[in-house]
Amino acid sequence: MKLEIRDASFAYKSGKELYKNVNFSIESGEMISILGPNGAGKTTLLRAAMGLLNWKSGGSYLDGENVADMLPAKLWSKIAYVPQNHGRAGSYTVLQSVLFGMTNQIGMFSVPKEKEIRLAEETLEKLNIQHLKDRKCNEISGGELQMVMIARALASHAGILVLDEPESNLDFKNQMIVLDTLSKLSSEGVGVLFNTHYPEHALRRSTKAILIDHETVKFGPTTEIINEKNIESAFGVKAYIGQFETEHNMIANVIPVGLTSKDATKSEEAEDTDVLATLSIICGQFEESERINAILHEFNDILFGRMGMPHRKRNLYLISVNLDGSRKRIEELAHQLSLIPQVSCKVTYAKEEIL
Amino acid sequence: MMTTKNGSWKTRYILFLLLLPVVALILSLCIGRYVVSVSDVFGSILSRFDESIDVPKLAYITVWNVRLPRILLAFLVGSALSCSGLMFQSLFQNPLATPDTLGVAGGSSFGAVLALLLGFTLIPLQLLSFGFGCLAVFLTIMAAKGKESSMSTIVLSGIIMGSLFSALVSLVKFTADQEQQLPSITYWLMGSLQSATYSSLLIGFIPISISILVLFLLRWRLNLLLLSEEESCSSGVNMKRLRKIAILCATVATASSISMCGQVGWVGLIVPHMCRMMFGNDHRHLIPACISFGGTFLILVDTLARSMSAAELPISILTAMIGAPFFIFLMRKKGGWSL
Repeated sequence: MKLEIRDASFAYKSGKELYKNVNFSIESGEMISILGPNGAGKTTLLRAAMGLLNWKSGGSYLDGENVADMLPAKLWSKIAYVPQNHGRAGSYTVLQSVLFGMTNQIGMFSVPKEKEIRLAEETLEKLNIQHLKDRKCNEISGGELQMVMIARALASHAGILVLDEPESNLDFKNQMIVLDTLSKLSSEGVGVLFNTHYPEHALRRSTKAILIDHETVKFGPTTEIINEKNIESAFGVKAYIGQFETEHNMIANVIPVGLTSKDATKSEEAEDTDVLATLSIICGQFEESERINAILHEFNDILFGRMGMPHRKRNLYLISVNLDGSRKRIEELAHQLSLIPQVSCKVTYAKEEIL
Repeated sequence: MMTTKNGSWKTRYILFLLLLPVVALILSLCIGRYVVSVSDVFGSILSRFDESIDVPKLAYITVWNVRLPRILLAFLVGSALSCSGLMFQSLFQNPLATPDTLGVAGGSSFGAVLALLLGFTLIPLQLLSFGFGCLAVFLTIMAAKGKESSMSTIVLSGIIMGSLFSALVSLVKFTADQEQQLPSITYWLMGSLQSATYSSLLIGFIPISISILVLFLLRWRLNLLLLSEEESCSSGVNMKRLRKIAILCATVATASSISMCGQVGWVGLIVPHMCRMMFGNDHRHLIPACISFGGTFLILVDTLARSMSAAELPISILTAMIGAPFFIFLMRKKGGWSL
């Protein structure tokens, strides 16, 4: 399944144009984040992409079919939307709330039967929230409610999940639960498109990113889009993207240090010279090594030597890869690998003196 | 309350809703200024089908010709007003919405009052009143169709249409003959079930039962009305169509009710609230509950209205006087309900 936005532009009813030349696409299994300052139109972009708002020109295409011409029943059986701060209305129970996601599959004059109820319960089990089944939606925590809303979206069996700031207003742990769930769903083949206020969530979770920088909408691989220059330009904040080392991975982190003064000249992008590096990977099952191979294949141009070794006693794979290329490419490779669950990977760069 | 949705709960729920109006019906057939004993009530009912059963003639006439049509009318009107009140509350996500929110009562009253002014009674009056009720809602919706139409513009336009028609009612009253027409207009406006006949019942029964049946069949989808626009939209259900059907059914039910017995206040506000307090917001339970409770409530109130004093009391006075304290009692006990 593929949702594609082609040459779209959006304008408010007042005629004020929000952005133009919007081009991006999301396929099954991809996880794409949308970043942008307050008021840049993140939610608007999501809503327009799904056809809830009309583009001024261009359009959204789902598997080649214009979304604006699709019947709602057909469209919403393929896309599910989780809006922000909703779900408490009507004080329905969690089970009822999840069943609403399946209304499309229930006949117009019918009510949910055992089959639908069982499916809803299975969805709750899948997300580990079956214990909430009979609780009322206005009596559970924000984190739990967000999981219920994701369950509702999943219950519709949609191939693409669109979420509006799914982790806003949640504490650390619940943010982690929600984001882990989304990562898991994406690795199971669901396309996940979400808005976020946290550049580091985008960096850590998404394969590709969309950044709304005033009137332009930038789209590309996450590490290319979320860099210090783009953040400064879109948010007006001087930020550093650092690597934070954990036992398993290097984790990218974005640290804002101050506002950009209006008259400051924009710093020029540092010239990207080629560097030498080695990349070490530890992974578990066989399927994972398959995925790793596929990713490595995409980076053949910077790869000049690799060694893979199975560790039979523990059923693990250890891979070491030699790289020679731009820092940008190397960082992107490391980022893509780090998105696979159960994979540890780290890059070691050669010192500049020896090059 | 909804947590144990097992078989026994469901059976008890259905039995309760079915038995409630039946008990009210029998009670109401007995009570009145001429008291009919329970055995005579059953006898009268059965003797219609079995000639051999012997009952006093007076009891037979009272049951079949006087009380039964009136009780059936009360049940029909009570159910219709409760269901349409429920619908408008859900449609506008507003606990203050009543069957009259879109101006249907104003329109129907004007139609009826106009008919009385022109000297029509019974069936022509009923049809004219029904027609004007629907017209008022149609005008309300047309008036609300602007550049930025939303549910609150429809409510606002309904209030305006309602006051426009009540002004027209006043105009008719002003021009009416003070000796005969004005008292009959005033009395009609207060609402009474006295005029119930089987033929007028039939005319009202068809539109009301169709509307209620449609709402009953849609009971699961109606739950989506309470969700936010974004949530309901992404369920894939055509919400515009669902809203149109709900408004149409609620309007037809209300206009038919008012055309038969004038304005009966309070039922459409109190009964849906009581049902929500007892059964939650799931329309799968609410629609049957409103049919049963609304009908029963009006049967009981009407029984009191006709038997409490020598002269019959206007029913709206009693619905308020009985409904309000009971409502307050429930609200204090259950802590109200939230949409």
